[in-house]
Amino acid sequence: MEFTVNRADLVRELSLSQGVVEKKTTIPILSNILLEAAGDRVTLTATDLELGIRCSCPARIKKEGSGTVPARKLLDYVRLLAEGDVHMKFLENHWANITSGRSRTRIAGMSRESFPELPEMPEKIAEVPVRTLASMISRTAFAISMEESRFTLNGALLVMRPEGLTMVATDGHRLAYVQATPAESGQVDKQFRALIPKKAMAELTKLADEAGSDATAIFAGDDNHLFFQIGHRLLITRKLTGNFPDYERVLPKDHSLVAKLQKDELRSAIERVAQFADERSRAIRVQFTNGEVKIFSSSVETGESEESVPSEYQGPEIEIGFNAQYLLDFLRAIPQDHVAFELKDQKSAGEMKPAGDGIADQYRYVVMPMRI
Amino acid sequence: MSVRTYFHVDMDAFFVSVEELFDPSLKGKPVVVGGRPNERGVVSAASYAARKFGVHSALPLRTAYKLCPQAIFVDGHPERYRECSQQVFDVLHAFSPLVEMASIDEAYVDMTGTERLYGPPLKAAHLLHERMKTATRLNCSIGIAASRLVAKITSDQAKPNGVLWVIPGHEAAFLAPLDVRKVPGVGKVTEQNLHALGIRKVGDLARLEDAFLEERFGKWGLALAGKSRGIDAGGWFDTEIGEDTGPKSISHEHTFSEDTAEVAQLESTLARLCEMVGRRLREHGLHARTIALKLRYSDFSTITRAHSVGRPTQLDIELYEEIRLLFRRNWKPGAAVRLLGVNTSSFEEETEQMDLIGEARHERWKHALAAADKLRDRFGESAVSLAASMRGKFRERTHENPAGLPGKKPER
Repeated sequence: MEFTVNRADLVRELSLSQGVVEKKTTIPILSNILLEAAGDRVTLTATDLELGIRCSCPARIKKEGSGTVPARKLLDYVRLLAEGDVHMKFLENHWANITSGRSRTRIAGMSRESFPELPEMPEKIAEVPVRTLASMISRTAFAISMEESRFTLNGALLVMRPEGLTMVATDGHRLAYVQATPAESGQVDKQFRALIPKKAMAELTKLADEAGSDATAIFAGDDNHLFFQIGHRLLITRKLTGNFPDYERVLPKDHSLVAKLQKDELRSAIERVAQFADERSRAIRVQFTNGEVKIFSSSVETGESEESVPSEYQGPEIEIGFNAQYLLDFLRAIPQDHVAFELKDQKSAGEMKPAGDGIADQYRYVVMPMRI
Repeated sequence: MSVRTYFHVDMDAFFVSVEELFDPSLKGKPVVVGGRPNERGVVSAASYAARKFGVHSALPLRTAYKLCPQAIFVDGHPERYRECSQQVFDVLHAFSPLVEMASIDEAYVDMTGTERLYGPPLKAAHLLHERMKTATRLNCSIGIAASRLVAKITSDQAKPNGVLWVIPGHEAAFLAPLDVRKVPGVGKVTEQNLHALGIRKVGDLARLEDAFLEERFGKWGLALAGKSRGIDAGGWFDTEIGEDTGPKSISHEHTFSEDTAEVAQLESTLARLCEMVGRRLREHGLHARTIALKLRYSDFSTITRAHSVGRPTQLDIELYEEIRLLFRRNWKPGAAVRLLGVNTSSFEEETEQMDLIGEARHERWKHALAAADKLRDRFGESAVSLAASMRGKFRERTHENPAGLPGKKPER
């Protein structure tokens, strides 16, 4: 194999692959990137067996073929080269010559045969605007569980229906739910439902950022994998298996007590008060009272703190405990200026959602209280 | 540090003595506690009269019968022993705030600095001895020394029903003529190893260089050298009395009288074990993050499988759901099982954070089990149980020296 590519193109595509390259070196070949030259493009493939990515960039191909080299080393090196062309020529012993301007390098590679085969993309299920996907991910991913033992919660549920896309994530304590409008949801050919691993969501966000706001993602799935094709780039992920909790049951049907608040005021009030919350539990108390919402914290070691945020609330007084981090996660994820904070009683889930005009999609964030 | 004064209070033939309280006709006779002579299982305790025939705890019941066929064999009553153990603790705790129950029938009491209250050690011990008898109608023996180790050895020498004080400075002379086996921590294996070196008495041990013992037995050898001179060394002697580190794990096991491969029987037994573990977790106010299953087949091959739960628990039903899952995943269907065990560890405080799903059920069980615990406190352990465990009822076996670290306070 022998080809010439633009350095900037190569650096960009290699960078997008790095998140997928296996960090642990238990299987050496997974630290490598597969390069394949055919037609007028070079295709780059990386996988950690859970996740796979296939990118490509234009190239002048002198001889078609394929080979693998260490992904990290190749990127680190090429990034340091001057702007211009990079020429790569693979040798019989799996090594590759890299030449660019006055630079000459020989990089040690491995046989292409030991590189795992990625599954073929099946028939398309939907075509979705990437900005919709990215915005759904950014509003749910933080609620995914970090605990490995709750593996069915280590990802988000994606539901595709003709009436629109839904994404739901939970760690068992709080749940984030986004329902996109049909207009934003693109074109869905058939109903589909799958669990996307957290890592795939992070990679998808990177691909979406790179693709620009008008791009669309072609989505497909087989029994074990999900496929997202964005332009020349394809992300393949294993599906998470297991039963996602019945989220419809968790979404509250009614709340008696609703306080509308200015988001930034509430967020910074919680941020300050949380400094004096118990470090392990992060517990704060939220009190709805006439004309204001009060936030309290106290910790045996550090002291106590209190804030008041104005609100038009007129209902009965209620005080309820929450993990400050859970509330902040939501308040930091929304662009809107106002939030509606809704409660029922001390033992039922509270809910937050963006408030104000011009909110088309539905975003609901449900948080279970703490015992106080 | 100034000279300390420790009491080691050891109840005389505890299980047998408790049985005698309930059936005075047993007094003075050879009595074996633990089960019927033809049962599988071991002797939990033997009366002094039975011990004369060579019967001792941990001996198989059938062997005990061969040694002493005229003995009266009685079933153990763990609830009675726990209750009496609590009375013993209450007497001790009223006497000194620094009490550490080393097992169900023995305790260390730190008596340092109580001279003005109780007088010199022997007088104080005499007073305690009388109070114990009055309050519990049970005999005990008390060893007094400047270290817990010597106090323990001393109480053994004081038996039965005696009080003995080793005056500070005379430890080595007192220990020297004793067999090495008398040193706590020296078991059959260490004894053999020491005998092989020509060391038979504690005095032989004390004469050796520390370095020699360390070379032979490692760190444990150093502890042994200290022990031979009467110093508290190694293991749990490193923590002070009253410095409650809390249990590290809570577990229950059951050996079937006949091996079984019947699923209903096995799962029911697991449910019963989970109930017992859950009850003790709640008594200690602990919530377990790690739950483990122990399974021994007829051929003695044994597996343990553990799982960490998302939410630490002390509820029987949540323990059972995890254990049953572990059991179903790991048991070879049809293979006969000899022993089942349920172990909990990685204790954490109760989480204040409520769950989105199952919180209401969790609350209901919490209240139901709190009520069940109250019923058990009043009417005994068998007053209430999960329906799932009804078939798993078995007689709890008792050991005077339970495995694991001693030193836990009785459950309060």
